Amino acid sequence: MAGQGFQIDLFIKILPELLRGAAITVQLTAFSVAIGTLIGLFAGMARISHYKIFNLPSAFYVEVIRGTPLLVQIMIVYYGLPALGFNLDQYTSGILALSINSGAYIAEIFKAGIKSIKKGQTEASISLGLNYMQTMRYVILPQATRNILPALGNEFIALLKDSSLVSVIAISELLRRGMIVYSRTYDAWTPLLGVALIYLCITIPLSRAVQFIEKRWEIHD
Amino acid sequence: MIKKISMKKKSEKNIISNGGPVIKMVNVTKSFGELVVLRNINVEIKKGEVLVVLGPSGSGKSTLIRCINRLEKINEGKILLDGKDIYSPDMDVHKLRTRVGMVFQQFNLFPHMKVIDNIMLSPIKVKNIPKDKAKEEAMELLKKVGLEDKFNSFPHELSGGQQQRVAIARALAMNPEVMLFDEVTSALDPELVKGVLETMKELATMGMTMVVVTHEMGFAKEVADRVIFMDEGIIIEENEPKELFENPQNPRTQAFISKIL
Repeated sequence: MAGQGFQIDLFIKILPELLRGAAITVQLTAFSVAIGTLIGLFAGMARISHYKIFNLPSAFYVEVIRGTPLLVQIMIVYYGLPALGFNLDQYTSGILALSINSGAYIAEIFKAGIKSIKKGQTEASISLGLNYMQTMRYVILPQATRNILPALGNEFIALLKDSSLVSVIAISELLRRGMIVYSRTYDAWTPLLGVALIYLCITIPLSRAVQFIEKRWEIHD
Repeated sequence: MIKKISMKKKSEKNIISNGGPVIKMVNVTKSFGELVVLRNINVEIKKGEVLVVLGPSGSGKSTLIRCINRLEKINEGKILLDGKDIYSPDMDVHKLRTRVGMVFQQFNLFPHMKVIDNIMLSPIKVKNIPKDKAKEEAMELLKKVGLEDKFNSFPHELSGGQQQRVAIARALAMNPEVMLFDEVTSALDPELVKGVLETMKELATMGMTMVVVTHEMGFAKEVADRVIFMDEGIIIEENEPKELFENPQNPRTQAFISKIL
C-alpha cells in the first residue's frame, strides 16, 4: 500500500476523521483570534499611550512574542506552566499559546488602525466634551476596526495555518489526525495531501471573503 | 438685506453687552518646542461679541483659539472663562469644552455616523440627555442651518458646505457660551462659502459670542464687532473692522490689508 501516491478510496475512508480534526482546528483558531483580539485591542491602545507605564510593557510583550517562534511558545506554555504549578490540559494550553501569540500581532494591527484615523477626528470629539475613552469607543475604534477588518481576517488565516503547530502537544487537530493515519497505514501521501487540501478548502474562501470586504469598502468610500 | 441683518445685530447687542468679558487672555505665551507661536497675548471677548482674528499663515491665529478650549496647552499666562481660570484644578477640561464650541477647517464630521447621530453623540454621551429629546433638539438645529432633510444622510453624501453647516449644528448642540471658528471656509469651493457664512451671520445675529479666524474680509467687515491682526505670534493691531480696514496704523497691517483687499 505504501508508496503508491494519493489513493482516493483511502482518502474518502479517512475523510470523516480528518474533518473532525479540521473542526478542532477551526475551533482553536476562532477562540484564539477572539481572545487575541481582546488582548490586541488593549495592548494596541497601550502601545500608543503617552504613558510609559502602559506603552513599555506593551512594547515588551509585542517584541518578545514576535521575536520568538510560536512552536517555542507553545512548548513553554504546555511544559513550562505545569512546572510552576499550573496544570492545563492540551487544548487549553494550545488556545492560551495561540491567543498570546496572535494578541501580539493583532496589537500591531490595532496600533496601525488607530493611527490611520486622522487627528481631526479626535480633536472634534474631545472638543465636544467627550473624554479619551468615549472618543476611542464611539469615534476612533469604530472607524479603525472597519479599516483593520481585512488585516484581522488575514491574521485569522495565518493563525489557522500556524495552529498546526499545536499538533506537537498532541491536540488532535487536523495535522495530528493526518499523522495518526500515516502511522497506521504507512501511506504519507494520502493523509498529508488530504490535510493540505482541507486547509486550502478553508483558507481560500476566507481570503476571498477578505478581498471582497476590502473591495466593497473601497467603492463605498 | 445684509445691511439690515448687521444693523439688527448691533442694536440687539447693546442690550446684552454689559458685564465682564466671557473670555480673557492675560499674557498668554505658547511655544511648540523652540518655536514661539504666541507671545504675551492679551485679549478680552465680551458676551455677544464677534471677534475676527486676521493674519498671515503661521501668525499664530489658529493656535490662539485652540488655546481657549485647551486643544493646545499654554506655557505662560492665564485664560479666564467667565472670570474662572481654565487651568484651575476644579475646572474639568471636558466640561470646559462643552461650554466652548469649535468648528474646524476640515469639518471633522464622524464619517461612520449619520448626520443626526453626529449631532446627538455628545448631548447623549456627555450631557446624558435622553435620546428622544436629543433627537428633537438636533432636528431643530438642522432646521436652523437649513439641512433638516439631510438628517439621515452620511457625511460623505453631503457637499463640503453642507458638512460644515452640520459641524456648526453639532457644536451648537452642546449649547456653548462661545463658538470658535478655525478657518471654516478655507477648505470649501468658492460657491459653497456663502451658505456657511450666512449660517455664521445668523448665529451672530442671535447674540452668540464668536471668535472667528478667517480670510473672508467681507464677513469681517459686515459681522465683526472687532478685528485683531496678528503676525508672528503678536497682536499687532486691534480695532473696529471699518477702522482697521480703512485706516490701518501699523505698517505690517497695512501691507497685509493691501495684499488681500
